[in-house]
Amino acid sequence: MSTLAIGLLYGGATLLVMFAGMPIAFALGAVATTFMIMFMPASSVDTISQNVYEEMASITLLSIPLFILKGAAIGRSRAGQDLYGALHAWLHKFPGGLGIANVFACGLFAAMAGSSPATCSAIGSAGIPEMRKHGYSGGFAAGLIAAGGTLGILLPPSITMILYAVAAEQSLGRLFLAAIGPALLLVVMFAGYAMFRFRLEFKRAKAHLEKTGETSELLREDTMTTRDKFALLPRVLPFLILLTGVMVALYGGYATPSETAGLGAVLALVLIAVIYSVWSARDLEPILTSTLRESTMLMLIIGMSLLYSYVMSYLHISQSTAQWVVALHLSPWVLLTVILLMVVVLGFFLPPVSIILMTAPIILPPLRAADFDLIWFGVVMTIVMELGLIHPPVGLNIFVIKNIAPDIPLSDVMWGVLPFVGLMILAVVILCFVPGVATWLPDHLMGLGK
Amino acid sequence: MAHSLEEAGIENPAVAQPVAVGVPGRILHAVNRVIVTISSVALVAAAFVLTYGVVTRYFLHYSTDWQDEISVFLIVGSIFMSSAAVQARRGHVAIEAVSSLLSDNVNRWRLFVVDIATFAFCAFFSWKSWLLLEEAIVEGYRSSSTWQPPLWIPYSLMTAGMTLLTIQVLFQIVAQWRRRSEAV
Repeated sequence: MSTLAIGLLYGGATLLVMFAGMPIAFALGAVATTFMIMFMPASSVDTISQNVYEEMASITLLSIPLFILKGAAIGRSRAGQDLYGALHAWLHKFPGGLGIANVFACGLFAAMAGSSPATCSAIGSAGIPEMRKHGYSGGFAAGLIAAGGTLGILLPPSITMILYAVAAEQSLGRLFLAAIGPALLLVVMFAGYAMFRFRLEFKRAKAHLEKTGETSELLREDTMTTRDKFALLPRVLPFLILLTGVMVALYGGYATPSETAGLGAVLALVLIAVIYSVWSARDLEPILTSTLRESTMLMLIIGMSLLYSYVMSYLHISQSTAQWVVALHLSPWVLLTVILLMVVVLGFFLPPVSIILMTAPIILPPLRAADFDLIWFGVVMTIVMELGLIHPPVGLNIFVIKNIAPDIPLSDVMWGVLPFVGLMILAVVILCFVPGVATWLPDHLMGLGK
Repeated sequence: MAHSLEEAGIENPAVAQPVAVGVPGRILHAVNRVIVTISSVALVAAAFVLTYGVVTRYFLHYSTDWQDEISVFLIVGSIFMSSAAVQARRGHVAIEAVSSLLSDNVNRWRLFVVDIATFAFCAFFSWKSWLLLEEAIVEGYRSSSTWQPPLWIPYSLMTAGMTLLTIQVLFQIVAQWRRRSEAV
């Protein structure tokens, strides 16, 4: 059988079992194993479990459960609400300051927790009711939090980035640094939109007041005392020190990424014990079991995805597909657009983990041949996958928001996220024209990349 | 990435609660609970081991050659061992896009076939893991690091975990079959 026929069969079988509803990890493992039995020597089939173990036993990959533990510890404490409260007190004077405080809180929390839905939930559960109490429309408040939450997969220690670094064989430290500029760009764009949208809603409320005499909470000015401003700082500062400490440990050369993950998890557990008295077995049990479930689900997908990629490579499917794409001689930008559109479509059905590991062997060689910087591409691809978390109808963050604010109609949430989808597409376009937004920081701190 | 509703502290309504069928089912449920507790402790222990490595290197000025491998064993072990507990709650994420398009009856058959395919794969993987474990013990396989711990340790955790997962899926198939028979 030709490589093309095997490849088509491999892809078709994968789609069939996945859409039948088989868990992704087992679907990938089952398809890979079946093709090993059919097309590979018996000796290869005998090493299937050894293959999976060796792929999973990478110390870089195993930092993922520890980063999840750190995120769960911070996410399940009141740290998110306190962070949000402190930022609100300091930013309330700006027009749209409350919305801006939510965006900044999402960015900072995402950098501490490294998770998109956890950020949405932690900041949104305090931020959405507060914004609505101050007259913000439900859709605007929901869109702001859903979009802010996506920063969790872009800012270090993003699990998506760790996987991309492994799949693309790129430096994790360089990739983490490359994500900081684009993440700040998104924060500024989201905050700018929050200010613009606030002014728009403020004008409407004012016109309504003049017309009907009915006032809106949006027109009421917040008063915060200096005491309010400083009240929450003692609770928030240790977490910001943790965030800084973890970064210094990683980039100061004091610890490897896995050690940073371990250190971060231990410090997060210590901080929630000291600041929020979360230390009893009853308090820790939900943190640990949710970490374990999440890690197990994710790591099995990773292990089986790597087996799936190994089979694809052994049968020359990935190499032939990559060669075929290169032979099309597409212009670099057409190639990039096609690949990113494919990532968007895959994002409708698959988590970022599977998208990266299944597509990397096929999409990276043509991108390398077209002279794209793979660190830069990792950042762009992650932003596109962030889009998958908020674009209707299947974005995960939309459902997190629906859960924490069930009274906001789903249609309002979906309209509310659309401007942010537009802003993220704009950020991708900016990155294409000004790649230095991503590459300047790693090049400046770590020297020029390959 | 990690990206699920559960991560945000939200229970996924699509995730069924564990089904315990008779005494063997209750035993499996209890075993899973104990394993989840031990695995949680193992995960925290791995974090402490890695932290210990950093602290000794920078404050006591000596390096350990065992911290990475111990962490790998603890984490890989806890992941494989708790995979059955995750499956008990149908916590392994799947694409459910077609389920809303099908009737309840067709969906039940679809789930049944999916469970049988999952069982077949897990049983095959477990069998190969047992063979690998036997080979590692007989041949005395050791890791290639300077510390050189025996590889039967992680292989036995992987084998036990995958076997438990296979048994868990089998229980879910039996539970579904019973429900179907009772309905008829």
